Amino acid sequence: MAPAEIVAQVTDSGLRGRGGAGFPTGIKWKTVLDTAGDRKYIVCNADEGDSGTFADRMIMEGDPFVLIEGMVIAGIATGARKGFVYLRSEYPHAIATMTEAVEIARKAGILGVSVLGSAHAFDMEIRTGAGAYVCGEETALLNSLEGKRGIVRAKPPLPAHKGLFNCPTVINNVISLASVPVIMDRGAAFYKDFGMGRSRGTIPIQIAGNVKHGGLYETAFGLTLGEIIDTIGGGTATGRPVKAVQVGGPLGAYFPRALFDTPFDYEAFAAKDGLIGHAGIVVFDDTADMLKQARFAMEFCAIESCGKCTPCRIGSTRGVETADKIAMGIEPEKNKALLTDLCNTMKFGSLCALGGFTPYPVMSAMNHFPDDFRPTPLVEAAE
Amino acid sequence: MSLIHEIDFGTPASRAEKMVTLTIDGNEITVPEGTSIMRASMEAGIKVPKLCATDMVDAFGSCRLCLVEIEGRNGTPASCTTPVAPGITVHTQTNRLKDIRKGVMELYISDHPLDCLTCAANGDCELQDMAGAVGLRDVRYGYEGDNHVKARNNGDINAQWMPKDESNPYFTYDPSKCIVCSRCVRACEEVQGTFALTIEGRGFGSRVSPGMHENFLESECVSCGACVQACPTATLTEKSVIEIGQPEHSVVTTCAYCGVGCSFKAEMRGEELVRMVPWKDGQANRGHSCVKGRFAYGYSTHKERILNPMIREKITDPWREVSWEEAFAHTASEFRRIQYQYGRESIGGITSSRCTNEETYLVQKLIRAGFGNNNVDTCARVCHSPTGYGLGATFGTSAGTQNFDSVEHTDVVIIIGANPTDGHPVFASRLKKRLRQGAKLIVVDPRRTDMVSSPHIKASHHLPLKPGTNVAVMTALAHVIVTEGLADEQFIRERCDWSEFEDWAAFVSQPEHSPEAIEAFSGVPAEEIRGAARLFATGGNGAIYYGLGVTEHSQGSTTVIAIANLAMVTGNIGRPGVGVNPLRGQNNVQGACDMGSFPHELPGYRHVSDDATRETFEKLWGVTISNEPGLRIPNMLDAAVDGSFKGIYIQGEDILQSDPDTKHVQAGLAAMECVVVQDLFLNETANYAHVFLPGSTFLEKDGTFTNAERRINRVRRVMTPRNGLADWEVTQKLAQTMGLNWNYTHPSQIMDEIAATTPSFAMVSYDYLEKMGSVQWPCNEKAPLGSPIMHIDGFVRGKGKFIRTEYVATDEKTGPRFPLLLTTGRVLSQYNVGAQTRRTDNVVWHEEDRLEIHPHDAEVRGVRDGDWVRLSSRSGDTTLRALITDRVATGVVYTTFHHPTTQANVITTDFSDWATNCPEYKVTAVQISPSNGPSQWQVEYEEQARHSRRIAGKMEAAE
Amino acid sequence: MNLHFASPDVGARTLEIVNEMKALEGPLLPILHEVQAEFGYIPQEALPVIARALNLSRAEVHGVVTFYHDYRDHPTGRHVLKLCRAEACQSMGGMALEDKVKKLLGIDFHQTTLDGAVTLEPVYCLGLCSTAPAAMLDGEVHGRLDDTAIAELVAGVRL
Repeated sequence: MAPAEIVAQVTDSGLRGRGGAGFPTGIKWKTVLDTAGDRKYIVCNADEGDSGTFADRMIMEGDPFVLIEGMVIAGIATGARKGFVYLRSEYPHAIATMTEAVEIARKAGILGVSVLGSAHAFDMEIRTGAGAYVCGEETALLNSLEGKRGIVRAKPPLPAHKGLFNCPTVINNVISLASVPVIMDRGAAFYKDFGMGRSRGTIPIQIAGNVKHGGLYETAFGLTLGEIIDTIGGGTATGRPVKAVQVGGPLGAYFPRALFDTPFDYEAFAAKDGLIGHAGIVVFDDTADMLKQARFAMEFCAIESCGKCTPCRIGSTRGVETADKIAMGIEPEKNKALLTDLCNTMKFGSLCALGGFTPYPVMSAMNHFPDDFRPTPLVEAAE
Repeated sequence: MSLIHEIDFGTPASRAEKMVTLTIDGNEITVPEGTSIMRASMEAGIKVPKLCATDMVDAFGSCRLCLVEIEGRNGTPASCTTPVAPGITVHTQTNRLKDIRKGVMELYISDHPLDCLTCAANGDCELQDMAGAVGLRDVRYGYEGDNHVKARNNGDINAQWMPKDESNPYFTYDPSKCIVCSRCVRACEEVQGTFALTIEGRGFGSRVSPGMHENFLESECVSCGACVQACPTATLTEKSVIEIGQPEHSVVTTCAYCGVGCSFKAEMRGEELVRMVPWKDGQANRGHSCVKGRFAYGYSTHKERILNPMIREKITDPWREVSWEEAFAHTASEFRRIQYQYGRESIGGITSSRCTNEETYLVQKLIRAGFGNNNVDTCARVCHSPTGYGLGATFGTSAGTQNFDSVEHTDVVIIIGANPTDGHPVFASRLKKRLRQGAKLIVVDPRRTDMVSSPHIKASHHLPLKPGTNVAVMTALAHVIVTEGLADEQFIRERCDWSEFEDWAAFVSQPEHSPEAIEAFSGVPAEEIRGAARLFATGGNGAIYYGLGVTEHSQGSTTVIAIANLAMVTGNIGRPGVGVNPLRGQNNVQGACDMGSFPHELPGYRHVSDDATRETFEKLWGVTISNEPGLRIPNMLDAAVDGSFKGIYIQGEDILQSDPDTKHVQAGLAAMECVVVQDLFLNETANYAHVFLPGSTFLEKDGTFTNAERRINRVRRVMTPRNGLADWEVTQKLAQTMGLNWNYTHPSQIMDEIAATTPSFAMVSYDYLEKMGSVQWPCNEKAPLGSPIMHIDGFVRGKGKFIRTEYVATDEKTGPRFPLLLTTGRVLSQYNVGAQTRRTDNVVWHEEDRLEIHPHDAEVRGVRDGDWVRLSSRSGDTTLRALITDRVATGVVYTTFHHPTTQANVITTDFSDWATNCPEYKVTAVQISPSNGPSQWQVEYEEQARHSRRIAGKMEAAE
Repeated sequence: MNLHFASPDVGARTLEIVNEMKALEGPLLPILHEVQAEFGYIPQEALPVIARALNLSRAEVHGVVTFYHDYRDHPTGRHVLKLCRAEACQSMGGMALEDKVKKLLGIDFHQTTLDGAVTLEPVYCLGLCSTAPAAMLDGEVHGRLDDTAIAELVAGVRL
């Protein structure tokens, strides 16, 4: 198949980036294919740092070759001859498996100067991250691969135009790339037939946290959140009522039971101020303190902020302090208003999704669980 | 007069030719494609709030104040990182944006001190401006939270707080005021190219760090000042601003250090200089600076500066302060007496490459019209005279072919015998920027300079030749190009004399000029030469930059010719990105040469034997000019020793320290009856002077300097001369006292006279310079806008001339007694003989000259790092301390000559360039041996200098 | 666990590592991983060596080293216990477990026990979210930790 045909197949399949943003994979590839460059790269974002997600890890540990195959196809489709898998250091087994698989693939002629005897050259390396969550953001990941501080780059330029070492670069998530072989094998229509609306194909849902039947379930888009938690997950592990679920990792919104009729679909979640992200779902029972969870969201942002943009760099720290003031009952109404304003500043002012999406868990906790944000009067008495 | 506020467009200009029209806040705006929305707004006078953006560096997008809304697009993109697009409608002020901006500012101020009233940046703080612009009235977070502001939080030590770093002599770093905009880091990387700064840590803990959490002085920082200029707050602030306060007016002028000729705003408070800030419209420096021009101006108020004229009968007498009138009368009568007694040719003068064109012109005019001879020479004799000869012979002009902007179009650069990061730092920064964009570099130098390998710089080829083998190596490069068929035949046929080329090609093709044949004595691996030649011939636009490592050799002129040959054979002349570019050492060495400072040339490089030229000046000056060339500096000294040369007027040059064979210079000066020195300080030459005329600094006079790219830049007076008279006034008064009818009331009238008599300056006037900023000569009817690039359609001389370059080894050879080769150079922080920079805080970087020696050579001589060593040559010996480094190859040692006590020129020989007498400073056979301290000669010299600097009625000046 | 303490030849060994790896595209992170594997942390004196060999400034290498959580500027204990603090583990009592471990070891995060046995560090997600709470001891992962399981792990490292 000619590169343009591969790209057309992927575009037709409706495959969207499974890393969180849901950008159509085929369009990314086409941009790289159409951009002139002596060197182009395929970069696999395997920096799966979201709590509640482990689908990438399971693919890499369980079927590393499907990812390798996906990357080779991406290389042939776009004219890239080199690929990198940026794999987080917290996944030692995946690193070992992928490293070995690449060796095997190289020996088998799947990687190298002539892929399976063809005129295409493609080789790849496994690179280990260094514990920075923000390097899951694609431009920070590119900086990190280049050996720089993992700070986020402003876009434009898009990585497809100027990515790794300023060269045109496809940067896709593990699942996106691992989905390519089946599209090539069974055709775009086969894949597209799964799913709903603009969310086509299947999604590997990871049910985690306080849940009876946790694990990875690949299904078509469209199940409701309630079906996933109650029917598949079987409720909480502790047997207590479900209070909240966080969908989409540490930057995802907390959904109360009242929103369990939301279908699992990019647009439907967005309409309810949530996001699917990497499709990880963390279940909390009724012992959870949602103010603490909101505070943690800010704390996590503060710990992982790259420090480049002001809303995230300073805002996350101020967010933790403001949440603490609310918890301590210090001018709670004023501080809740301040936290809301801060979330507005971070959401619209931040450079990337870390600062920009931290308001989702914070505001959803505050909006859906207002009782948890009422201070205990004890502290005020102690002042 | 007011303070010049340069517009900050926020992001650099786009070079695209295609234009894009968009609407911003209801205004239709057309800008080049690729322009940021921020810059487009500013061009229309719409100020978008910003903190991390500044137009000296690329957009970064971190402060999030410059967000805008674009109709039909989601979100609030940053205007600094978002390029314009045709037909879009942008809003820079909406309620949504107002909320975000206020929110961001509230966060900034929650981690910033509230000491605005006592802050050094008060009145010049962008953070303050932005807080005002967004209407911030309240910081609801309070000031009790995590912060970098307070040393203690509620009594506990605040681990986030860092103390102020005052290690750099010129500026302070106060981390508590830092807003982490990264402008300093980016300026250090993108503008200066040193990469001395980083952000350490991440998130809230992010801080600016010099080196590895070092202080500025110990870090890799070269103190260029770009970070200070970029800082929007008081985090990085000039100590002078902290001491004095904000300036109230500024004047644009030109730096008086190296030949780059940077434009600066002298920011003043009354007559007090607050700081020098590089001017973005400066066409040589484009808003950048180095440690010397930016900070090292303190010499102008140094206590050793001499402010009163002085005379004495004998050089063993103490100086006696006199009035200007007495000094002029004494000098005039002495010169007339000497001429009466010993003949017209018995006196002469030396013009200064440090002074203005106008002053230089007056000195040579005084000599030609007043002394009635051509005994005028200048310090270019000892630096770039071979450039004049070599480029004149091959191309037809004695100057570099390009402007500095040209480097932005270069693909392959050869640097020969120059160390631009130290000698021409602002040019080096511009070159390094181009190299980071992918241009290739070939370095021909005995030392591993920073251009060979340093952060983000790696030369494709380093040819570490033995000092003295330049011609062999350059000819070998040509050998490869010609024999491998890489010559640009079309260019040569069109632009050069073909038969001369054929002769030359046959010559360089001879096997004895092959890289393999010269490897043994040049020390350069043949393959490196072949690789370099192929790269230069095939790599696109090729440019050659060279310095004194080329000229200060017995074959200096030959090497310049070889360089010109190389440029011609590869077709690299006459367009941007190519050319032959001498890096001039001194601020006005180009101008001094242009102004007729040589004994055989009238202004504009016209030979004194040319009747028409002489007639022009004779008519104007009302005198007869000798058609015989006068004496060069070494000839004057020889004649003095012989007893036929008795008086000299030296303006702004220290020949005793800078000219070769110190003992011979000493003898010559001592034999004269009237040595007149005009300088800022009692320099080494003044030890032998009978009259001392105090000089003025570049801050105290009007005039022009001409830099290495032939750019005529205005020097503007910002304060009254502390010595009472500008240098041009001193020369004029001396001339008047000698009976000449000179009546200049302003240097512009001198320039008018230059323009009227010198075709290449025909259109230059102060009014024109005011209008143009600066121009590059030739600037006349044929080239009214000046000439950034020369030889565009043909060589000035007609056809380019290829000349054979036979390598003749210098007579200065190593042997059993003197087995090492000494070569000399400069460091960044010091300038030339150091008369100025040694009298500034720059001494913290270089308090003494050291002898660089390879570990192997040191070991066999039992020399350890820091030991005193005796350095001896056939001419003499001196002592200095050793610095062991593998920057130099075995067999080669290196030192600087910034300190008079080193007396490197006691060591150098009197060999010189065959064509121009330019001394062979760059090769001396020497031996090194351990020593206990200064030599007997140094001790005696020191004593003599101290004795000769006594001023009657004053404490010893030098102490 | 392999432990190496800084030896006088940090510079020489670092240079060997750099020379082995500098042909990689973007070699700095792999080199830093290797230097840390060699010495147990990244000695300050290794930075200028790396900088010079890679044509970087000291500042740049320092900036990179201090950015990433994984790189340490001082040696760890003989064992490194990383406890997951992310949401999935919190939902299964991770915070209580954290308090318990800190008490058992008598140290806070980023500290090492006085006997040099173990360094405690936080980690944000090990991808064991369906088997929370989780931890990593010396590079090996452990899930479904409860009071007993964690006490056993702690006891093991204090031997």
